[in-house]
Amino acid sequence: MSQTSMHTIAIVGSGPAGLAAAGRAAEAGVSHVLLEAEDHLSHTIYRYQKGKHVMAEPTALPLRASLPFAAGARETILGAWNDGVSALKVNVRYRAAVSGIRGTAGDFTLTLANGETVQAENVVLAIGLQGNLRKLGCEGEDLDFVQYQLDDPDEYRNERIVVVGAGDAAIENALALSARNRVTIVNRRDEFDRAKRDNAAAINKAIEEGRVQLARNAGVAWVRAVSEGSTGVIALDTAQGSSELPCERVLARLGATPPRAFVESCGIVFPSKEANAVPVVSARYESNVPGLYIIGALAGYPLIKQAMNQGYEVVEFIQGRSPEPADTPLLAERLKAMPGFTTVDAAIERIRARVPVLSPLTPLQLREFLLDSAVRVPQPGEVIFRRNDYSDSFYSVLDGGVQIGLDDQDQKGIALGAGQFFGEMSLISGRRRSATVRAGASGAVLIETTRSSMNKLIASVAAVKRVLDETFLLRAIQARIAPGIPAADLQNVVASAAIRQFKPGAVLFNEGDAADGLHLIRKGSVTVARNIGGRETVLAYVPAGQYVGEMALLTELPRSATVKAAVATETIQLDGGDFKALLTAHPALRASVGETLQQRIVSNSGTRDSGKATGGIVQFLMSQGVGEATDVLLIDESLCVRCDQCEKACADTHGGLSRLDREAGPSYATLHIPTSCRHCEHPHCMKDCPPDAIRRSPGGEVFISDACIGCGNCEKNCPYGVIQMGVTNPKQPSLWQWLVLGGTEPGLQAPVKSKAKKAVKCDMCKDMKGGPACVSACPTGAALRVSPEQFLRITQGGG
Amino acid sequence: MAREAIHTGFLRYAGFRWAKAALLLCAVSIVAYIWHAPADGPNGGSWLGYTLGTIAGLLVLWLLWLGVRKRSYRSSLGSVRGWASAHVYLGLALVVVATLHSGFQLGLNIHSLAYVLVLLVVGSGIWGIAAYASLPERISRLREGSTREAWIAEVFDLNEQAIRLADSMGPEVHQRIVASAEKLPIGGGLLQQWLGPQPSGEGKLLGELLEQRMAGLRSQPAFDPDRQSTVSFMASQLQARPEQDLTQVQQLLDLLAQRNALIARINQDISLHARLQLWLLLHVPISLGLLAALLAHVLSVFFYW
Repeated sequence: MSQTSMHTIAIVGSGPAGLAAAGRAAEAGVSHVLLEAEDHLSHTIYRYQKGKHVMAEPTALPLRASLPFAAGARETILGAWNDGVSALKVNVRYRAAVSGIRGTAGDFTLTLANGETVQAENVVLAIGLQGNLRKLGCEGEDLDFVQYQLDDPDEYRNERIVVVGAGDAAIENALALSARNRVTIVNRRDEFDRAKRDNAAAINKAIEEGRVQLARNAGVAWVRAVSEGSTGVIALDTAQGSSELPCERVLARLGATPPRAFVESCGIVFPSKEANAVPVVSARYESNVPGLYIIGALAGYPLIKQAMNQGYEVVEFIQGRSPEPADTPLLAERLKAMPGFTTVDAAIERIRARVPVLSPLTPLQLREFLLDSAVRVPQPGEVIFRRNDYSDSFYSVLDGGVQIGLDDQDQKGIALGAGQFFGEMSLISGRRRSATVRAGASGAVLIETTRSSMNKLIASVAAVKRVLDETFLLRAIQARIAPGIPAADLQNVVASAAIRQFKPGAVLFNEGDAADGLHLIRKGSVTVARNIGGRETVLAYVPAGQYVGEMALLTELPRSATVKAAVATETIQLDGGDFKALLTAHPALRASVGETLQQRIVSNSGTRDSGKATGGIVQFLMSQGVGEATDVLLIDESLCVRCDQCEKACADTHGGLSRLDREAGPSYATLHIPTSCRHCEHPHCMKDCPPDAIRRSPGGEVFISDACIGCGNCEKNCPYGVIQMGVTNPKQPSLWQWLVLGGTEPGLQAPVKSKAKKAVKCDMCKDMKGGPACVSACPTGAALRVSPEQFLRITQGGG
Repeated sequence: MAREAIHTGFLRYAGFRWAKAALLLCAVSIVAYIWHAPADGPNGGSWLGYTLGTIAGLLVLWLLWLGVRKRSYRSSLGSVRGWASAHVYLGLALVVVATLHSGFQLGLNIHSLAYVLVLLVVGSGIWGIAAYASLPERISRLREGSTREAWIAEVFDLNEQAIRLADSMGPEVHQRIVASAEKLPIGGGLLQQWLGPQPSGEGKLLGELLEQRMAGLRSQPAFDPDRQSTVSFMASQLQARPEQDLTQVQQLLDLLAQRNALIARINQDISLHARLQLWLLLHVPISLGLLAALLAHVLSVFFYW
């Protein structure tokens, strides 16, 4: 059935955004069609586990849509939407996956996967970010017994199941199915190196023990249904030739195709190659293709309520109306602290005009940016942040000015005026503030923006990234290596500097190499090792903000040590020749660099002797990813009496849910790293938090705020397994009641059972006077929290 | 420049601050005792006797308070490590203060009972310190970076493998292996836990009360396995079976040996953990007994004054 009539609006995707758009169009009597690839609405939410509690953050944002939405169970929400779609008589086409969009405003042609076409004057793209599940891409990929998802592994018994894929999902499914079925896992490669360490270990063990069969270096040639002996046959191509396996089921877990390629094929331009870049849209959600609108997660708005509001608004815009955006009252609340504030639009225009780094943003991006920002009006001389604070927000100066102090006494400093920005150092390096910043003599008006919002901007707007990188380079050289040298004199050095990226374990330079320059570590950390007695022995750990290879600036000696990236690391490489020229021009600088070098040589000579004893431990810690930690819990097992006071203390102070598992985790000699948050420099958990609920406090603690919507992304993204989904119990057992009458002992209360789970993790007891409860409750002093800088001191005999 | 210590155990806490304080308390008490020399001989009824008695009594109360402090997880009144350090050293000093308070006048009465209980509590505490000093490292060495859970999982794996292998070796072998897999000799009663892996434990020296307290520490029910006989049974199969089956028998024997070694390790681990806590089963109840005896002692002294 081909549809030839022209719709006013074609909406692609029936998630919250698309559904709200279709609902509004139906309500307003606009000719429309809602195209959904699956046979049900809102596939992403449909796939949530049964009974999952869906939250409605941000609470303060009002909902403006023709369909209802409030926090509640998945079934309630989907039910209400299904009812609403029927009541409004929304024109939905199910199983209508769109494979291409061509045309111009007023005349678009959408091609469906089955070859049919749909005509529309305007297209609203609301396909989200989940993408389509990758299929086998061979004969038989759509057969009944070939599936791409697994809801409940217990549904299947006594089947021969072939699992295709080598990621976490494939491994977890294969292991779960293997309890009751005969499972073969097909890995295109030799090893399970894409999976989390624990998963890879578990599947390798299962294969070794014969619980799961493995076909390695194997690709799927075809799948066919048969009538005898089994349901089907799957043919595999391997290096040894091809083989055929009879089976009852094929489960392919090959991940999803990111929607980007499809979106680009429609003519939409992405601003950068970054994976998290989103296409630029106007204030009316229109993309660079006129008549093609983008809303929801694909446009950078991952929360349900935001997406639904945009669905409503986009239909209004297409109809030529201009509703006031739903976030205007929120923005007014944020911006009213600005001196002379009149309207939100006027304030936004003023910010655009006055702050060059923000001027490349579209009005919509700027609105989003300001929603995550706060206006601060410090008094003259007031401290914005102090050196060594752990805050990571970014500041733009709107009016007045600030003074950046570079040395301990704040004697030397740099003055910044209106239109400039600061705070980019901690933003990029993930480390403590490198300087104290005060408001200038006439005060200042500042816009403070969160790390996640800024990172999104850096990924989406190339101009912002370039300006930040250049400024970082200049200021880093000024602050760390050449204090007091004017920017003009540094031009050559800055121009020849390059930002270099290293994967974990990659070598910056080897012992004995010819020295070619200095590396200033901008992000990540490195280890310094020397060959002692034929073995590579780690001598030092150097975090971001410090530099290595400085000898090359003064001498022609070859490298005296091997430097490797401990985690993913970015350095600024300064060319030796240009720097030597600079030193020749500035004798005072030469003296100060020389003095710094001398101090380093003295402190390194101390570690050289002890290196033999401690190298193994440092190497162990680095291999466990401690190099990216800012604060890690260690247990000295020679003192640990296994009383679990640490776990009890954690549970008692955190609603009955301990955030650490003492016994789990690796050990080396008597040093144990329990499963507990390390408060990473660049927390993996923050990477994909839709409500931006994971924050870093000024003390460095990475914590989860009440805005958590319980999506579980952080739990999946944490490579160290320290985030769990749970419900805290507000009731605390009474110590005296337990002592006198018995009952529940403090620290051992049972967790609450509820569907409305949120992510919980260590917050380092940031609100408690006595510091982390796990450490202060340890009776023997076995538990301690340290930063990587302190490792060497600990491993060198505790002194 | 002296660097601040990041990491010290509770005994060395703050440069032996509490050891020094305890020594000072002992020294002052002894000097006062020698200097005092009352006409009717040293006794608890002199002014010095009352002073030492008050100090000792308050010390006992404070020492008992550790049980409260260590569970007050929100308290910022010092660290538990500092409290434990002070508890150890001041607890040791209590012996000196209490002894001087008694004036060495002992008899068969409630007063002397309190004194004897002090000695028993401190004695069990010293046992605890010895356990804390020696056992943690032994557990780490035994574990070699693995965990008890992983071992138990491995035992189950080995059992499954053994049963699978035995499947093909006839009903007799199969039954034997299944029976041996079903009754694993892990854990055991208090005595078995304490002494470590032993051939079947018998007597219950410390009685039912302690037995009950230990129930929580026990991970698996007790069982006398007769495991040696499964191995010897399989060994006999080596001779009884035809040539072609021998590799299987050998494999099975290897699996059983591996499993039994692991079980021994698990039991040793349980034993070490139990021994870390065993002393507390004396220390805490006797302390509470001491509190009762102390109250009786103080009341009776004032009542019969």
